[in-house]
Amino acid sequence: MTRLYTRKEFIRTACACTGASLFFFDSTFSNTAAQGSKKGKGIRGTVFRGDAPDKPWKWSIEARYYEKKGKDTICLLCPNRCYLKPGDRSVCRSRVNIDGKLYSLTYGNPCSIHVDPIEKKPLNHFHPGSSVFSIAATGCNLRCLNCQNWEISQKRPEDVAHGELFPADVVASAIKNHTPSIAYTYSEAITYYEYMFDTSRFAREAGINSILVSNGYINDKPLIELAPFIDGANINLKSFDNDIYMVLNGGTLDPVLNTLKRLKEAGTWFEITTLVVPTYIDDPDMIKRMCGWILKELGPDYPLHFSRFFPNYRLNRLPPTPVSQLEGFRNLARKEGLHYVYLGNVPAHEGNNTYCHNCSKLLIERTGYTIAKNNIAKGKCIYCGTQIPGRWAA
Amino acid sequence: MRVNKNLIVWAIIGTGISSVTTQLVTIREFITQFHGNEITISLVLFAWLLFNGAGSLLCRQFKVTGISLYSLLILFIAIWPFPQLIIIRYLRDILILHGASAGFYQILLYVGITTAPYALLTGYILPCSLELIKANYHDFTSGELYITDNIGDILGGVIFSFILVYWFNPFTTIALTSSILILISLAMFIRYKKNHLAVVSLMIIATFYIYALNQGFERSTLAGQYGEILKYKETPIGRLVITKEANQHTFWESGTPLYSTGDIQGSEEKIHYPMSQLEGKIEDVLLVSGGIGETLSELSKYQPKNIDYVELDPALIDMAKAEGLINNRPGLNIISMDGRAWLKQTRKSYDAIIIDLPDPDTFQLNRFYTSEFFRLTREKLRQNGILSFSVNSYENYISEIIKKKLSSIHNTLNQYYKNVIIIPGGAAFFICSDRALNYDIPSLLAKRSIATGYIQNYYYGNVTNDRINQIRGAIDSKEYMNTDFEPRLLNIAYKEWFSKHGSSPGIFLFAAGIIGIIYIIFMKKEEFILFSSGIAAMSAEMLVIYCFQIIYGYVYLKVGVIVTAFLFGLLPGAIAGTIFTQKKRSELVISEFFILALLICLFVWVNFIKTDLHQAWFILYSILFSFFCGFQFPVATGIIGEKTSPVAGCIAADLAGAALGTLFAGAFLVPLAGIHATIIIVISIKIISSMTLLFSKRV
Repeated sequence: MTRLYTRKEFIRTACACTGASLFFFDSTFSNTAAQGSKKGKGIRGTVFRGDAPDKPWKWSIEARYYEKKGKDTICLLCPNRCYLKPGDRSVCRSRVNIDGKLYSLTYGNPCSIHVDPIEKKPLNHFHPGSSVFSIAATGCNLRCLNCQNWEISQKRPEDVAHGELFPADVVASAIKNHTPSIAYTYSEAITYYEYMFDTSRFAREAGINSILVSNGYINDKPLIELAPFIDGANINLKSFDNDIYMVLNGGTLDPVLNTLKRLKEAGTWFEITTLVVPTYIDDPDMIKRMCGWILKELGPDYPLHFSRFFPNYRLNRLPPTPVSQLEGFRNLARKEGLHYVYLGNVPAHEGNNTYCHNCSKLLIERTGYTIAKNNIAKGKCIYCGTQIPGRWAA
Repeated sequence: MRVNKNLIVWAIIGTGISSVTTQLVTIREFITQFHGNEITISLVLFAWLLFNGAGSLLCRQFKVTGISLYSLLILFIAIWPFPQLIIIRYLRDILILHGASAGFYQILLYVGITTAPYALLTGYILPCSLELIKANYHDFTSGELYITDNIGDILGGVIFSFILVYWFNPFTTIALTSSILILISLAMFIRYKKNHLAVVSLMIIATFYIYALNQGFERSTLAGQYGEILKYKETPIGRLVITKEANQHTFWESGTPLYSTGDIQGSEEKIHYPMSQLEGKIEDVLLVSGGIGETLSELSKYQPKNIDYVELDPALIDMAKAEGLINNRPGLNIISMDGRAWLKQTRKSYDAIIIDLPDPDTFQLNRFYTSEFFRLTREKLRQNGILSFSVNSYENYISEIIKKKLSSIHNTLNQYYKNVIIIPGGAAFFICSDRALNYDIPSLLAKRSIATGYIQNYYYGNVTNDRINQIRGAIDSKEYMNTDFEPRLLNIAYKEWFSKHGSSPGIFLFAAGIIGIIYIIFMKKEEFILFSSGIAAMSAEMLVIYCFQIIYGYVYLKVGVIVTAFLFGLLPGAIAGTIFTQKKRSELVISEFFILALLICLFVWVNFIKTDLHQAWFILYSILFSFFCGFQFPVATGIIGEKTSPVAGCIAADLAGAALGTLFAGAFLVPLAGIHATIIIVISIKIISSMTLLFSKRV
């Protein structure tokens, strides 16, 4: 027989159940409502099994850094340390194991060649106002979701249109274009290491500078051997948080920090760029820690560029970085003790200019890529005579 | 106690209202999650219909005989859309990285997970309702069930498309349209003395209404995706949100950041690349979208006499004005309508037409990059006037896909403009005119003494001669042109999307094909007729909507009319099938021929006539088409025989066909092969089903 509720019982039960369900609902959703989760699965790349061509493609050459394990190979170029069986392709897509030999497929096969202002790399303390002959071959050892060059960095060499330009020809082209420097840029230069290495050696002989624009994801040995031939570098320090590196870039932080230390030890001039991605790279505490590390390990003189993010590639559901946030980070970094902090992708902003760290006077006024004023003479501030770190025209 | 038939009939109607409304709200939700293109919409419909079909097949195995469980299921159908929406909003950042766009398989998984419970259950409940009615010795046929469900569907479609979408947010919409089912379930609990269930249900219902009607709660569920929301409005066209990041304001339209304050480069490129080419006094400029923020002030540097600024969504204008992002100036005329429709109706001529729309990755957007549209712009430009727009590109490398995209647009433009130049960059700008055009924008600006922050300082460093030559050299004169009915750019956009996410729909299509073939092999031939009619009906609905959009543009109300017309035609068709049929196969054959004839009419119009039809023709066509599809359902179930309980199989066949029709026509055939090819394929399917019926042995 069905038991009937009394009115009192009904109201009591109703209140209790409603209260319980409201509490459950509220506690479940209010905590996560403020902001979406930024932690997720890492996007580290994986080896492409059986994806190698049957024969070395075009001008492929044997890789410089790898270890043989019978017919298998371990690439020793970058921290990915791709273990490749015959027929496999590396994470960066440009190295393959063919019959027990590791090949670099991109040698002499640039897919992008342009002449750019040096400020575009960006390098603000390296021969300002000069032009740079810029080349790229395909591939990247990271998987950045905001890559603006994904059409070449996330593709196999065979899938991209190439020109043919051997190291000596690259140098000759730079000379022909009256550019004092060659930049290895756009995609990830480390993945075409052999090509870059040979070109930079030729360039050194010809008196042309070599510039590495890179994510800094490289192992010690190849970096130490390359560094003497590199005159300037811009290293992308994508964040100062290993989790964010895993989630947004598919890499880890430590190897990049190691690269910065090694470049300093090698005496190579470099500048650091951090793209400020909203909701990921926007924690002032993280920026503070990053600046602290730079100051401690590298000193105050290496310039740091905070670059404005714009929606790109797969990370296109985020707004651009607010300029005021970039300004805040610039102030924070300077307060922490860094001498040269710049803003990137923000036209007509004083954060593009160089100010003397000693007397605070305007040294280089930049209107876009044009140098409107240059108050550095022989590498020194013309007002107070302080040596300004960088590589300047004699 | 014998179960009351009327209560169950009302439950069927309530389920129809709830399911159609929930489907439409869910599609809108997914559009805002994924900046939905036709693939997203088709995937939602596909998953929905497929789960509906699977749900109805489940009824063959698991029948509901008790009123308690039935009432609980009804209550679940009423309440679940609410948590479903919340799950869609929260799950995104779990399945897909915050701020990242999603690929095909991610969307498929996401859609599948979130829609499965509700769609399975709504598919399951229909044949269950019939079984329950019959188990309680009432008369009710499969055809009557179909009709009753259609009544609910039509009511849901009409209420949502004409009332709710204009006035209410998604949560409130769900709260309102679930009310009938909630009342019915409570009525059942009370009538059949299920007091414990009634009490528990009341608690759940109270919680449901408290949260669903709380605007603050609804807004808080969006914070994960958007951050700090300043303003939020649901409009018939989409979801508009303004967020604040530090001192920056960002406008979001359907989940995509549309515009952020401080975008100097974007505003200058958009305005000065075309405007600097003009000489002398400028009278009239047409700006199609993109007038928020710095754009109008950059345009004002040329002191045009009149600026007509056309924006589709009036709510966007209102919000921008409220935030001070559109400043009134003399001669500014803001028009809230479809840009193409405006160009068609206006008698004005312009010195410049500047279009600032996203890439043609949806059918709606493709209309602004077609031969037909470019001809229209040419007609509305004064002699030596300028047309300008941009598409996404890459500064350092022109990939095969970008090459195809640029070539297709270039070749299409070349029909109407003597000179077309492309200025390279992250966005490739097309500048078109009969006058000579100049790449040297900074020097043109200097002649006019116009100061800029970006162009005069960065242009020469970014738009280098080698990049100009690279983009020039990339143009392939053999690439197909883009037209309204053969949307080549949509095809390219889809390839680009798949390439970006490193995926291909091949595995999915292969799996769907295999499952489809196995299913067809095991279905009855009458079910196959319904299956093929399901394909034809949804394909035709998609085609009619696309054709309508091509002519009249994106007018939500009228698209709603077409969807409702399709639902509306099913009802008299089903009634006719129930009342007049002698349950003979010949009637099925005749209806097949009518469907074929209607498809052929569409083909003839698209291929040969191409004239702008009056809107009434689209509505009439939709009603006629669905009339014959609706007619077939009771006839087919009648032929199979009520005693063999055909309803679950027939509903499943109808829904599976509809699912496939939606997916293949909406997501793949039209974008990849064009409208002509799609109609031919649908005609072929109907010919096969007609032949099967004509030449097969009688049961």
